[in-house]
Amino acid sequence: MNYTNRFKSFIKKPHNIILVSLACILTYLTIVPMITIIMDTFTVHQAELMRVKGAQVGDFTLYHWAKVLFSSASRKIFYEPFLNTMAVSLGTCFIAISLGGFVAWLVTRTNLRFKGFLSTLFIFPYIMPSWTLAMAWLNFFKNSLVGGSPGLFTAFTGIETANWFAYGPFPIVVVLGLHYAPFAYILIGGILRNMDANLEEAALLLKASRAKIMRKITIPIVMPAMLSTFLLVFSSAMSAFAVPAFLGTPVRYQVLTTQMFRTLNGLNPGYGYIIALIMIAIGMLILGINQKLVGSRKSFTTITGKSSNIALINLHSLRTPLSLFFVIFIGIVCIVPIASFTIESFIKEPGNYSLNNLTTLFWVGAGSPVIANGEPGILRNPAVFRGLWNSIRLSVSVAFFAGSLGILAGYAIVKKKNTKLSVYVNNLSFFPYLMPSMAFGAVYLSMFAVKRGFIPPLYGSFVLLVLVGTVKYLPFASRASIGAMYQLSNEIEEAATIQGIGWWKRMLKIIFPIQKSSFISGYLLPFISCMRELSLFILLVTPSTRILTTMLFQYNEKGWNQYANAINLLIVLFVVLSNVIVNRLTGASIDKGIGGQ
Amino acid sequence: MPQIILKNITKRFGKSVAVDNLDLVIDDREFITLLGPSGCGKTTTLRMIAGLETPTEGDIYIDDICVFSADRGIDISPDKRNVGFLFQNYALWPHMTVYKNISFGLENMKWDKERIHKRVFELLEMLRIEEYSDRYPSELSGGQQQRVAIARTLSTGPKVLFMDEPLSNLDAKLRMEMRTELKRLHAETDSTFVYVTHDQLEAMTLSTKICLLRKGVLQQYTTPLEIYHNPTNLFVADFVGSPNINMLEVVGESVNLDEVKLTHGQIKMLFVPTSSSITVTKGQKLLLGIRPENIVITKDGPLTGKIYSTLPSGMETIVKIDVNGLLFTSVVFGGVDFFMGEQVRISFTSEYIILLDKTTEINIATGKLV
Repeated sequence: MNYTNRFKSFIKKPHNIILVSLACILTYLTIVPMITIIMDTFTVHQAELMRVKGAQVGDFTLYHWAKVLFSSASRKIFYEPFLNTMAVSLGTCFIAISLGGFVAWLVTRTNLRFKGFLSTLFIFPYIMPSWTLAMAWLNFFKNSLVGGSPGLFTAFTGIETANWFAYGPFPIVVVLGLHYAPFAYILIGGILRNMDANLEEAALLLKASRAKIMRKITIPIVMPAMLSTFLLVFSSAMSAFAVPAFLGTPVRYQVLTTQMFRTLNGLNPGYGYIIALIMIAIGMLILGINQKLVGSRKSFTTITGKSSNIALINLHSLRTPLSLFFVIFIGIVCIVPIASFTIESFIKEPGNYSLNNLTTLFWVGAGSPVIANGEPGILRNPAVFRGLWNSIRLSVSVAFFAGSLGILAGYAIVKKKNTKLSVYVNNLSFFPYLMPSMAFGAVYLSMFAVKRGFIPPLYGSFVLLVLVGTVKYLPFASRASIGAMYQLSNEIEEAATIQGIGWWKRMLKIIFPIQKSSFISGYLLPFISCMRELSLFILLVTPSTRILTTMLFQYNEKGWNQYANAINLLIVLFVVLSNVIVNRLTGASIDKGIGGQ
Repeated sequence: MPQIILKNITKRFGKSVAVDNLDLVIDDREFITLLGPSGCGKTTTLRMIAGLETPTEGDIYIDDICVFSADRGIDISPDKRNVGFLFQNYALWPHMTVYKNISFGLENMKWDKERIHKRVFELLEMLRIEEYSDRYPSELSGGQQQRVAIARTLSTGPKVLFMDEPLSNLDAKLRMEMRTELKRLHAETDSTFVYVTHDQLEAMTLSTKICLLRKGVLQQYTTPLEIYHNPTNLFVADFVGSPNINMLEVVGESVNLDEVKLTHGQIKMLFVPTSSSITVTKGQKLLLGIRPENIVITKDGPLTGKIYSTLPSGMETIVKIDVNGLLFTSVVFGGVDFFMGEQVRISFTSEYIILLDKTTEINIATGKLV
């Protein structure tokens, strides 16, 4: 076959066209930004003119690298936040995996009570924005260090909370750990549910003790999933911004993301880009390790069994206490924060929880000049409605584009699996996951601030937000879709091809309906993530494109606590409700989106 | 002398009954198959004896020791019942090499290293998989995995071996080969085998006794040939034997002293019971069961029919014959073939003709046609 014919037959297949187009688009949207970041670490920026002596904007310089890594200031600029990040991420992993793994084991392997209730509610902390728990923590345990009013705990008990308890690494780790525990729960639970119970029974029959079965059989088999959970939680915790910003700032506890926000927004964007680059490098290292682990020869993916045979472990006398404990615990983690936002948003003078201090001012008040510069209550505030509208249309657009692209990507990647092109697109579509959100935002800011080829300058436009969101959340959608496509045998599509049914019809009438719930999960996850996203957009929004989360952050920075709480309540309710509705209507769910089964 | 006794064993999952009031005695060194269509409770029964599932009611004894009693609250855990279990999907531990998979049970028995090594290689040799000892299960073919699973189960030398459809994941040729080896294994190991299968051929060829279950209820428990020749009811007659038994609807009438006149339209036959004498009321609706090998194509047969289809396999030919709209299945041994539509004459031979009551579907007599 000559080259023209070969090309013709290549281009005839839709999945080839998809792969080639995705390869081009994603290269431009992920690799180019990456190169831009690298160049930015060697470039003099406007804000740095004063420091880099005698330089022009755009000049090549080693100043940033030298300053960040090898100067007397490096400790404060980089090493300390770096170590803090590592400590926080490790601590988060520890809490998330031990808690999530334990609950997963209880739910899949024992006769715990209220399983349905627990497994539904346990995912809530992950659905809620990560700072939800952080704000709740502050509402409860705030002390007089930051000025203003004390939290609920101090108000009711009169005991002043210690600084280490109220702010800094301890609450950050606890809050992030609780936030990511559902993530670990979903992944480990999926493996446990899929893991053949016969494997454990075989060991039992060969007279191994329960402890030995756990140590020698269950844990080693779940290990790859645990490690990959560990790595995913680690990289997520590493790029978390809002929680350390809320809880760390009062005691000047800096992590890489908060440091990046300060430097990118301040006088040293070059520092910020270096930090971003290092974080991306760590992320890639993690991805590499993860792929090594998953691909090892001990892989057990080929083995599936009748999981219906599972004989549940009897918890005996622990059954009721453990069940009750988790019901109460999860209740506290899910409901108490929401209650606290509600309370805080109705209180006139912060810190005073008496009944006559209640007000609806911050919800429906017309605004009074003595409070918060006359800002009207959020339900009468056109700015809030604009923010809500922006948030919704942004999330819907991002979900639509990311979800659809993800389906196409998953389809094409699986169709051409094991080819170079497919592996390349697969990696590219996952790559944005590793980019810390804020760095990603920063790069898009610098990339699209000017006209690029046929693309007009996008800064300040809504399109830019949609673009950055779509690329950032593509990994969720593509992973969900790849998983779904792997479960679908090729013959199902071929049966339709033979009958002469066109590609569009095959996609819409056969493939999509069969894996509907997985695909819709691929839309749901970007939607929810986008609705609660802060750090990705914080550098990109302008007053006309403000979204709810950035407004929340601004209100919080200004210390307008009640507004912040009210908006937060709005976001949480909106996210949780839309999740529940989509779940009820379509069967799609968060767990399917992040790889649970 | 390990003898396994099940007394009134019942297992309910919620409202559905998986096993219904089952009584069973399995003697030492027997090769018992639990046979039945899928969902008949055979795997559940096996798992209950092994201790992996808890019966709702009843008692189980292994080797005169009560290992389970619902009334007395006894439930000895599987590891203390001294049994081996071979799973349908092998359940090999994916993170351990073949060697580790086999030695795991021996380590649990605190054997010293050298003895373990010797025993593992003895087993590897016996099952002809020595060269794979360092491989992981995912690097083995289905048949090899199967052998590793058998070696692992045998390693601790259990006196009772349970097998849950161990051959169902293998291809036909390999299955045949493994059947032979399982039978040899049974002879060599002196153990009692309890084997679950839905494949009647496997049950027929392997076992010393078949326990046939249907919807959790025991249908018949006896030797393979007895089940084949003297099935207790229509279900058993139909389930065992391939090709299926021919069932002819007839109307009966007791004649002479101990004979039954059977009529099906134009066809009239005389049935002589060889079991015990029976009485049939006049006009009683009956079913006449004739195994395919008992329908013979001969020149002087009393019935005329046309060849409907023919399936020659070289060793034998399965022929369907159309006799006035009734289809009979016959097996002709040897490499013979027929033409479709060809006229042939057939006759029924031999004993082992079964007579069942049509309404109760119960076997009332075996005998011969004259």
